[in-house]
Amino acid sequence: MTARVRQSKQPVAYPRRARRLRLAPVARYALLVIAVIISIAPVYWMVTISLKTEIEQMSPSPEWINFTPTFVHYQSALFGRSFGQYFITSATVAALSTTCAMVVGTLAAYGLARFELRARLNRRLSMWILSTRMLPPILSAVPLFLMMRDLSLLDTLASLVIVYMAMNLPFVVWMMRGFFQELPREMEEAAMVDGDTRMGALRRVIIPLVAPGLAATAVFCLIASWNEFLFALVLTQTDAAATLPVGIAGLVTQYEIKWGIMSAAGIMAMIPILVFAIAVQRYLVRGLSLGAVKG
Amino acid sequence: MDAKSWPLITRDKQSFLRRETSLPYLLIAPTIAVLAALSIYPLIYLIKLSFQTGEGASARWSLANFTRLATDSFFLSALAHTLVYATVALTFEFLLGLALALLVDRPLRGRTVFRAALLIPMMLPPVVVGIVWRLMYDPNFGAINGALRALGFNTTALTWTASPALALASVIAVDIWQWTPFMFLVLLAGLQAIPQEPYEAAMIDGSSWWQTFRHVTLPLLKPAILIALLLRTMDLIRVFDQILILTQGGPGFATETISLHIFRVAFRVNFDYGYAAAMSFVLLALTNVVSVFYIRLLQRQEAA
Repeated sequence: MTARVRQSKQPVAYPRRARRLRLAPVARYALLVIAVIISIAPVYWMVTISLKTEIEQMSPSPEWINFTPTFVHYQSALFGRSFGQYFITSATVAALSTTCAMVVGTLAAYGLARFELRARLNRRLSMWILSTRMLPPILSAVPLFLMMRDLSLLDTLASLVIVYMAMNLPFVVWMMRGFFQELPREMEEAAMVDGDTRMGALRRVIIPLVAPGLAATAVFCLIASWNEFLFALVLTQTDAAATLPVGIAGLVTQYEIKWGIMSAAGIMAMIPILVFAIAVQRYLVRGLSLGAVKG
Repeated sequence: MDAKSWPLITRDKQSFLRRETSLPYLLIAPTIAVLAALSIYPLIYLIKLSFQTGEGASARWSLANFTRLATDSFFLSALAHTLVYATVALTFEFLLGLALALLVDRPLRGRTVFRAALLIPMMLPPVVVGIVWRLMYDPNFGAINGALRALGFNTTALTWTASPALALASVIAVDIWQWTPFMFLVLLAGLQAIPQEPYEAAMIDGSSWWQTFRHVTLPLLKPAILIALLLRTMDLIRVFDQILILTQGGPGFATETISLHIFRVAFRVNFDYGYAAAMSFVLLALTNVVSVFYIRLLQRQEAA
């Protein structure tokens, strides 16, 4: 019994009594609405803080709706401080590390999905690759810091790109392996009978077929790199390679906290991720469970 | 002519086959190389560091780091905080996530909207989650105390993350807020993958909702439940980002988790890499127990 069963687009007509918990529709909607409010209200609160003047922020009775929005905090985050630069650093690191991880990982995934290796290496290697992802990042923080120090790579974008690539690689291998396994072998065999080479068949036949999976996997890598905080904190000491999370954390630990700028920066960090998340909604369960649940 | 071309074809075919047998290894090699250099080598380095005191030329082999661990009350309490954090958060996230999944796993108007809205907390960058909740928890102008004051409560004692008694519960609540959606999502996918027939049988037998839930839904949902629990457990053990933003381990030591403590020992206070490595070693052992469990499960599922 596996959880990987087809997704039924149309919910089937459930037999009445057995499956449904009998609950008045009103109660059910009420519960869901409460859950949604709890999910969203804190984020909305941050949005209001980012749009309020400092006097309004400090009001002892919180105002949720009735205030005149000001964009002054966004301005000072972008121009008065280095947030524009952090933003560019984050985007560069995320794009480069994702590209590297996708290229290297997709090839390995294809190798693992399509060939019988000796000594059941397919499964052993897959599991080994997965197990590297199980390690808490703090374990490699000290060694990676010392390695990067010895290579004089501290405070460079390169160190972050390298580390994030390694961080995303097991994920790419597992996701793409799943997508390749879903395609019948006959696809590239047909192309190869027609005189194509293996790599040619991969490029011309298989890659276009797994394109949605590739895109979704890449988006997950982008999100992971964009959100990453621990390594960014450990491997950077100055603004030279500070990413957005590090820049935001710098505001928090300052003596005098600028709530408005902090909220504005948080929202700017959050928006690309929400856009990406909407883009990969269909693959969300699969991505979050490393391909184990194909919702 | 025929006789001449045959060996050619055969040789061609042989070299083709040879290429095919080495090709998968060539495809996999770069990944292995990257992971060996950036995942396995650091681990070996870590183990070496943990058995050494001093750094560079003055480094000496010793067990001092580990003997120190056993009596270090800071380390032990960070370990305890991590276990409490993981247990409490996991329990609540699972129960709430399951309840929500059961609520949504039926024809429902506006299902996509509910689902998308419920997923927002999980998609936020952890650092942003930290900020959101600093703004919520602030004793003076935060939304929570503001709302409580509006309802007529006295909030002077409710300093949330700043109070030694409430701080750990407050950061755990944030985790529950952020990650219940994950449980919800995975369990909902699991529920929707359950076929119709067992329910029909249960209905014919006239079983009640609870009986059906207990004997049909739960057993069939087990794979999804196990995956969700294990993935969450591994993330809970490593929790770092939000706590650093919310409390930096404080007040005092009240919310210091193991990741945070290792970070502080290595990079903020003592710069004692060997000792941090020894603590990491313990964390590694802890994680290993969980991940071995998880990989077994996946293997069984792949075989099925």
